[in-house]
Amino acid sequence: MSDTVKPVLEGVLEKGPPARLLGGYCPRCERKFFPEPFVCPVCQGAVERVPLSDKGILYSFALVRTKAPFGLPQPYAVGYVDLQADGLRIISLLDPERLEDLAIGMPMGLRVAPLGLGADHEPCLRYYFTPEASKENA
Amino acid sequence: MREVDIIGVGMTRFGKHLQTSFMDLATLPILEAMKDGGIRPAEIEAGFCSYALAGDLHGVITGGQTIFWQAGISRIPIINVENACCSGSSGLYLAWTGVASGLYDVAIVVGAEKMVVPNFGLLGGGDTELDILEGLVTPASFAMRAQRHMLQYGTTAEQLAQVAVKNRLHAGLNPLSQFREPITVEDVLNAPMIADPLTRLSCCPNADGAAAVILCAGTRAKHYRSDPIRLAASVLRTGSYQNPLDLVPWETDYRTCKAAYEQAGLGPEDLDGAECHDAFTIAEIMHYEAMGLCPAGEGGRLVESGATRLGGRIPVNTSGGLLSKGHPVGATGVAQVVEGVRQLRGEAGERQIPDAKVFLAQCMGGDKDADARTCTVNVLTR
Repeated sequence: MSDTVKPVLEGVLEKGPPARLLGGYCPRCERKFFPEPFVCPVCQGAVERVPLSDKGILYSFALVRTKAPFGLPQPYAVGYVDLQADGLRIISLLDPERLEDLAIGMPMGLRVAPLGLGADHEPCLRYYFTPEASKENA
Repeated sequence: MREVDIIGVGMTRFGKHLQTSFMDLATLPILEAMKDGGIRPAEIEAGFCSYALAGDLHGVITGGQTIFWQAGISRIPIINVENACCSGSSGLYLAWTGVASGLYDVAIVVGAEKMVVPNFGLLGGGDTELDILEGLVTPASFAMRAQRHMLQYGTTAEQLAQVAVKNRLHAGLNPLSQFREPITVEDVLNAPMIADPLTRLSCCPNADGAAAVILCAGTRAKHYRSDPIRLAASVLRTGSYQNPLDLVPWETDYRTCKAAYEQAGLGPEDLDGAECHDAFTIAEIMHYEAMGLCPAGEGGRLVESGATRLGGRIPVNTSGGLLSKGHPVGATGVAQVVEGVRQLRGEAGERQIPDAKVFLAQCMGGDKDADARTCTVNVLTR
């Protein structure tokens, strides 16, 4: 069933396995962006689509207890995750099953699964980060 | 650039205006401001009309032409302005650029919003941006700043709550504020949680409301009023959207305040009062720091000290702020300047800052890549 489920936004993720986020890379500026921009916002040159790291560190997060948008579970959490390998701080939904475990600075791993609804009100694939069991990637 | 003065202001009560249409609500402060400035509609050379949500909520398109025409103002350049929570102050900025440059001698800005409608819910930012689709509602964005502020500087939930308590204390002295009953720190902490650590009383409520300001070339202002208020600086900036960007401190906020102080030739030590964009309690604490009222990280301790309460060293949000007045998005940035003008004229009644001479109004709006989309700072003097 999930084969037909569309990503939350076209071109930002691959279901896998392995699940991956897709960003843009500017070879001239040697910088990555997420999501992939139309052109490099620094030099306006063409960007290449590249996979991003599936490991990160939780920079900050919010536990949202008000009415959840897009059919997301209630409560849910959203945060900024530092993809250190890519030099990026990205916004991400966080694992709805692990809300109690979240703490700033903890290592996180990427997941992709059907979760909530898209802008078209249809079920969609979302990326989210979940606390890593081990600290070897910290 | 020429000197620019404020010669007329008007503002409706913020709250529910169920029996008044959006267009009529927006017309009211224009009529009041023209009367206040002793100026006729035909003397106004340009009009800027700001709203952010009326298009979505009421199907309004180019509402300014209808609104100004109702007030007797037509034929001249009329421009409708949307810039998130800074829509109103962006209209003011445009009016300032027009008068300061010499293009117009007199220009008016009106900001209005009518948001008290069924099922409004939370203020959003569009359904096609990835951050919104991943669950970034506005309270979450500020909750994340609060979490970082608490971690980095030891700011407490009680200090955050004290912002809401202080602003409600001020609102009790402002008949135009929506909520005026005093609240306690316990009330704020025990209110339903929206996004930890922000409770319902830590978030600004929706409101209907409108405000207007008339600007005039400094050389002509005394023709209209004996006590014009100088608009000593008007600055609009946007975010850098560099990645990674720290949530705390807020670089765009600092950068905009610094530019405004430079333009005015003044510093934070010169201020007698300020309005800032307290959409959430944590926001006011971060704006203290950007406005230079205290060092980075000290905002929580500043509100706790009482310095920003009426009677303190530098009263902030004497109007009651967004937290008590409510936040009719298009009107907010103009209403802050109306409060500043009334404080500097000595017309602020029970909430008057004694002998106020310098006032700053800071506004901030929108969310993009962990930064603001807009930030405005206006400095008023007499």
